Amino acid sequence: MSADTFKDALIAEIPNLRAFAASLSGSVTLADDVVQDTLLRAWSNSDKFQEGTNLRAWLFTILRNTYYSHYRKRAREVQDTDGMYAGRLAVAGDQVSHLELADFRKALAKLPPEQREALTMIGATGLSYEEAAEICGVAIGTIKSRLNRARTKLAELLSAEGLEGTRWESRISEAHNARRSNER
Amino acid sequence: MRRDHGADAKTSREVKDGRGGSKLQETIGRSLKAHYSDLVHAPVPDKFLELLAQLELKEQHSPPQESNDER
Repeated sequence: MSADTFKDALIAEIPNLRAFAASLSGSVTLADDVVQDTLLRAWSNSDKFQEGTNLRAWLFTILRNTYYSHYRKRAREVQDTDGMYAGRLAVAGDQVSHLELADFRKALAKLPPEQREALTMIGATGLSYEEAAEICGVAIGTIKSRLNRARTKLAELLSAEGLEGTRWESRISEAHNARRSNER
Repeated sequence: MRRDHGADAKTSREVKDGRGGSKLQETIGRSLKAHYSDLVHAPVPDKFLELLAQLELKEQHSPPQESNDER
């Protein structure tokens, strides 16, 4: 792959790298440091990338190694999960209500990192079980069991009564109904 | 505060069995995608493009170097 093509391919992956780094660290600010480091490492190791294989999976492996060896400790100090998404809810607004997303994010932040990571890779990034397992350096069965535990834990957290004394799902359907009647 | 322990126990059992939670799991899946899509669609700061442009420029002005993988 020529330097120019490689550069363009890297640029195309930046949004996904930032999203994955933010998912790992729980901090948008820290995510950008991780991504910058990842891009530098990817560039200096570009000869090791096998053309025709999944660039995203290759970059996620570098990003994950970078994060766990250099940033994980800092992530515990700067975690800004509650505030990180404030005012950034515009895009998803069409399919999912703000309330639904806000509750979901609080629950997601409570998952152990390896479960959040597995859930994100399989449920949101479009990577396969095989790719996720390779990125994390574990067996496919381990990814599957982390994913199951993540889903069970989220269901438990979101089934519990929220601050307003109603369950997540009924609050969501109320919000949906309200929107539907507004549209009429 | 009054709580309906019966309903809570049932919900948690169904969740553990993987039964009765499919609608909830659907909602979770949809929320996860929306959450991630929100992150992906955040505007990319110029500094990343500048960084890659610099790296490319450096490479054009110097012969390819030994890989400095420190891992």
